Amino acid sequence: MAYIVSPNPHIHAAVSTKKLMLDVIIALCPAAIVSFLFYGLSEIAIMAFSIASCVVLEWAITKYLLKKPSTTGDLSAIVTGMLLAMNLPPTCPLWVVFIGAVVAIAVAKMTFGGIGQNIFNPAITGRVFLLVSFPTFMTDWTVPAGFISNVDAFSGATLLGQVPILGALEADKLVNLQTLFRNIGGSAGEISALALLAGWVYLLVRKVIKPWITLSIFATVAVVAGIFHLADPAQFTGPLFNLLTGGMILGACFMATDYVTSPMSTWGGVVYGVGIGFIVMMIRYFGSYPEGMSFAILFMNMAVPLINMKFHQRKFGRK
Amino acid sequence: MSKITFAIGGVHPDDAKLSRGCAIEVLPLPQTLYVSMAQHLGAPAKPIVAVGDKVKTGQVIAEPGGFISAFVHSPASGTVKSIGPRKDLAGNNVMHVEIAVEGDEWVEGVDLSDTLVTEIPEDRAAILDKIKACGVVGLGGATFPTHVKLNPAPGSKAECLILNGAECEPYLTSDFRIMLERTKEIVVGAAIMQKVLGGCRTVIGIEENKPEAIAAMKKAVGELPYDIEVLPLKKKYPQGGEKQLIQAVMHREVGSGGLPISVGAVVQNVATSLAVYEAVQKNKPLITNTLTITGNCLPVEKQHNYLFRIGMPLSYIAEYAGGVPEGAAKLISGGPMMGRAIANLDAATVKGSSSILYLSEESTKRGQESFCIRCGRCADACPMGLEPFLLNRLYKAGDVAALEANAAQDCIECGCCLYSCPAYIPLLDNVRQAKGMALGAIRARAAAAKAAAEAAKAAADKNNKN
Repeated sequence: MAYIVSPNPHIHAAVSTKKLMLDVIIALCPAAIVSFLFYGLSEIAIMAFSIASCVVLEWAITKYLLKKPSTTGDLSAIVTGMLLAMNLPPTCPLWVVFIGAVVAIAVAKMTFGGIGQNIFNPAITGRVFLLVSFPTFMTDWTVPAGFISNVDAFSGATLLGQVPILGALEADKLVNLQTLFRNIGGSAGEISALALLAGWVYLLVRKVIKPWITLSIFATVAVVAGIFHLADPAQFTGPLFNLLTGGMILGACFMATDYVTSPMSTWGGVVYGVGIGFIVMMIRYFGSYPEGMSFAILFMNMAVPLINMKFHQRKFGRK
Repeated sequence: MSKITFAIGGVHPDDAKLSRGCAIEVLPLPQTLYVSMAQHLGAPAKPIVAVGDKVKTGQVIAEPGGFISAFVHSPASGTVKSIGPRKDLAGNNVMHVEIAVEGDEWVEGVDLSDTLVTEIPEDRAAILDKIKACGVVGLGGATFPTHVKLNPAPGSKAECLILNGAECEPYLTSDFRIMLERTKEIVVGAAIMQKVLGGCRTVIGIEENKPEAIAAMKKAVGELPYDIEVLPLKKKYPQGGEKQLIQAVMHREVGSGGLPISVGAVVQNVATSLAVYEAVQKNKPLITNTLTITGNCLPVEKQHNYLFRIGMPLSYIAEYAGGVPEGAAKLISGGPMMGRAIANLDAATVKGSSSILYLSEESTKRGQESFCIRCGRCADACPMGLEPFLLNRLYKAGDVAALEANAAQDCIECGCCLYSCPAYIPLLDNVRQAKGMALGAIRARAAAAKAAAEAAKAAADKNNKN
């Protein structure tokens, strides 16, 4: 009988891209389920359609355009589909969702060669494309009927969108501990900070990601918002408001920590996180969009190759 | 819980010490032994016997072939049947001396009793001579001649002797068993090396997944009149890597391309310490070692720790233990992280043989390679702080200068990168090649610098003469 002869190591940690992606899917489930509860069937439809579009697009592109073995088995297209759905308003028409999936998978991911090769986070690229192309659909925060009654549901702006209307002082008052459980209005994935953080903790416990990128984003946002808020509370919202509103937690926990588009080293990750935190606050305070998380992450995605060049592991025996 | 460990990287494979409960058994002699002339690092030994010669157990049959080389002794008494090439476990031809075994009649002057001799000879040079004459080499894997390692170049001083009892490779239990069964001999061996090195601090480092060995060593150290510490180490692979162990114990990092002695360290395996004891106190040459028969497709009752004689074919030992088990897909000599796949089971055991490990197809088959997802797990795992994903790319690009700048030459080939890679990219396979390219560039530069210096010196001499 012939035995395998190959170089060491002869065993493996039994970790695979598929298993890692499955963990991300599991981690996204609490927030997804909360969005289903509050936004009902229409949100379930968006999620299912988004995932199906991403998977089918990736399969079709590998099969018919690239003529290579399909990579859909690694489940990364499902992750992109989930993240895209969670970044859209619950009223988003399905054809808009499909365009988002095309941009995410076909343009942002497969054009660069597929998993591992893309520069920009696919789901965010899709979302930003929709945001600038279909602003009306993307900022329609009408709350559809969910399985849990929305007593104080109202259509209109998100908390971040209320800042110019109510002013920073009044907007700040809208954020309290309840916001941690349920946000008012916003993208599907942004409803429950707690559900998102639970998923993030799951990823940390499973050692899928490390906490440094997320923590450095939160810390930077807290510091920047703290300084501006202290200087002029009437004009600038405070740290808690900025940490709990918009795509902050979804972005910091699940989008900025995407392996492919974030730096490889710990300190590189910290620099990347500080950059995101700073840019998002600049956009929120001075930009023309109420929310800047997507733009901040995309901008820092561009800087990742440079950050990787500058920041390396500490090498043994070399100080 | 011991916190003492190396600072960078490392992985935590299941230690799978399945054969830990198997006491060491002595293997009977086969009819024929094949003694390799290349069972140490450095130049192969030169046979000094001729076909037809009668040899006794422990008789010198080959002399060192250079400064870094070692004596080889006959592992049994009998007749030299042939001298010629024979395939080693990788299938490469290596000079072997074939001995038809007729018995086990030892040469004069070897103390075969079990009596513990604790009194250490005074003369340092005499100790080193004995270690050299008995063919002792490092048994932790590299088989570097021990007398060379224990005799640091003038100007360098040993500040700490570290006895490596980490046995961080999964499955292997031979070091564990000798630490339990030959405890005091190992401690005396350490004291001998301590003396040779001028009485430096001496530490026996043992991973804490071997509490029985730690307890036995502590007890033996307490009962013997030497100044030796026992240090429990955290269970983390590659704790037993030389540079990693030095850092864990001494908090010093051996620089790139440097030797342990450059930071005042000498590392010897516990099995080497036992061999030193037998050489110096018993006059017994290194012709035996302990080997584990284990694996995840072998029932525990069929697992063994054997005392073998060098030259026994692996196939003989495997047959004696009941044959290669059903379901074994890969046969490995050494541990699952750094061991070598056995291509030729008829290969003879050598001084440094430590195991026959049978792995099932499920546990050892490499997954289908896919794209790097830049998760950074390989860099997190690398105990040398390298970035295997980057070295892999630079290797494919053939960029030797960048490989050197990113320290490809520092790779210790521990396998943590490929072990951790979710995309099953053959990182170590490629980084090993990259390391060769970087080392080649470094050596070529050194050789060119040396040649230039010599040319300049020759020119200067010529001018002086004129």
